[in-house]
Amino acid sequence: MTAVTLETSTAAAPSRGPRGLLWAMLRLHCSALWFWALLMAVGVGTLLWAYGPGADAAWAEYRKVGCGGTAADLGCDFTVPAYSRYDTAVGIGAGILGLVPFLAAAWAGGALIGRELESGTAQLAWTQSVSPARWLAAKLAVPAALLTAGSLVLTLLHRMLWSSDGVLRMAMTSREWHHGITFQANGTLATAYALLGLAVGVLVGLLQRRTLPGLAIATAAQMALMAVTVALRPHLWPVETLTDKDEYPPFIGMVVGDGALTSTGARIEDPICVDNAKCLAEHDIVGFYRDYHPSSHFWPLQLVETGIVLAVAGLAVLAAFRLLNRRTGAAV
Amino acid sequence: MTETAIEAAALSMRFGRRRRPALDGCAFRLPAGSVCAVVGPNGAGKSTLLSLAAGLLRPTEGTVTVLGQAPATARERLAYVAQDKPLHPQLTVADTLRLGHELNPRRWDAAVAERIVAEGDLDPAAKVRTLSGGQRTRVALALALGKRPELLLLDEPMADLDPLARHQLMAALMADAAEHGTTVVMSSHVVAELDGACDHLLLLGAGRVRLAGPLDELLAAHTLVTGRADASLAAHTVVESRTTGRQITALVRPEGPLGDDWQTTAPSLEELVLAHLRAPEAPALRLDDAREAAV
Repeated sequence: MTAVTLETSTAAAPSRGPRGLLWAMLRLHCSALWFWALLMAVGVGTLLWAYGPGADAAWAEYRKVGCGGTAADLGCDFTVPAYSRYDTAVGIGAGILGLVPFLAAAWAGGALIGRELESGTAQLAWTQSVSPARWLAAKLAVPAALLTAGSLVLTLLHRMLWSSDGVLRMAMTSREWHHGITFQANGTLATAYALLGLAVGVLVGLLQRRTLPGLAIATAAQMALMAVTVALRPHLWPVETLTDKDEYPPFIGMVVGDGALTSTGARIEDPICVDNAKCLAEHDIVGFYRDYHPSSHFWPLQLVETGIVLAVAGLAVLAAFRLLNRRTGAAV
Repeated sequence: MTETAIEAAALSMRFGRRRRPALDGCAFRLPAGSVCAVVGPNGAGKSTLLSLAAGLLRPTEGTVTVLGQAPATARERLAYVAQDKPLHPQLTVADTLRLGHELNPRRWDAAVAERIVAEGDLDPAAKVRTLSGGQRTRVALALALGKRPELLLLDEPMADLDPLARHQLMAALMADAAEHGTTVVMSSHVVAELDGACDHLLLLGAGRVRLAGPLDELLAAHTLVTGRADASLAAHTVVESRTTGRQITALVRPEGPLGDDWQTTAPSLEELVLAHLRAPEAPALRLDDAREAAV
């Protein structure tokens, strides 16, 4: 009889493995889970390849062309093929970390929340013995744990590469510590942005209650938020200033701004006099300045921005819970 | 007074400020153990009422209590099947039932759910997305009954079923309800679907309660009369009347003896409902002893 076979297939299973909402989350979003595992495998694989064979090949080829003695060897600032392969691999690893926040936002706004509200399966869950708040908590906690774990692993690998390939990098001048994707991939920011993507996606999904608008608006909102925080990035920690009498100070680190100085010490926009003494005198220019962040500002900048991003994510989560509560009357 | 399954007082629900309220000051009381039909034209507020009772929406005004609690706290004791039978398309039938088990760990009765699925000859390994509408209904009902609810809220439960499956599922539902004393509330606009199954009636129109109470009392309160067109029915409440030639047929609520001018018959459920649907301005009648103060 059908009933008998059914009983054996379902009754035995629940005794092992995850239970309750965790089981439901893993089972319902099993394809997303596979995708995440695949993406992490590609990221980890690429970065490990770069760390081992990729870096070795780049070094070997670099030495073969007669470089590798000193970092400042001016004759060696060209790119060898093996190095560009190495650089591409590191770029893929960091690129995945840069992409994850948008993927998280799109998925959370679309498949995780929007689709469930659109099809009514969210309501199906809420009329089981699961309150909307617990449902939302599971929707946030399980992906957050997986996003955090995956992002942290890739970040650690990226940092490991970063600390080992300094000389190679300097010779090729391909990447700098303050470049957008590198900056995020080397610290806590990649993880924080992934969590922000999840929170923004969940909130937008709850607001839109439909799959495609949830997906699209969540991605757009994440882009807008990141545009703001990235624009704020240089201003999150006091800058250091270099000044020089005759010419601009050297261009180092994350440059925030530069210009000319007058005899009163005021900063003005450079009138581009170059060497014209008359022009310089006319504008009362006695020197030049440059505001910048040295690489020692990496962690302060990183941590302040992480704090802001996590605070925004926290606000989005709070708003999501309040919205759901107001709509369903769970607290009555 | 018997235990109460659902009690609504001044219950209103408004979706957006500019739209007409979906429910407008509803008050009724449904005793536990009854099987209640919620009928009314499209847009009468049937689905809204069931969603409110299921704790899926928060009322704009008024209150609804189910099983003596707020719907949100009675979640574990009620089951709800929405009109479009939402299920996860990517799950198999067996996994859908497992979901019921995982999300109702303290109440789940796997045997009940599996029996309903098996009666429909459904393959437990079939994905929900491959099922027909009627098969989905069966799985949705299995999920609802497997929870062993004290209150079962069904929104247009039988709409997708062929007559045979409808009959069979309705019988299974009623047998289960009778055995466990489950209160069943089901909405429908197919009155024939409900005849013989229900002992309570809630007729909604334009977001308001038109009729509420035990079905036999409501039927007893109405009489179908036929007589000469010039005879007077002024002493009684006329729900609806139709004149054909020199003869008038009317559904009335007699306020006293009707007199010899009239041929009287007892209306059927369908006649009672149709007369009220055709005459939206007929006064409401409530025989459900809800607290009047709440209206």
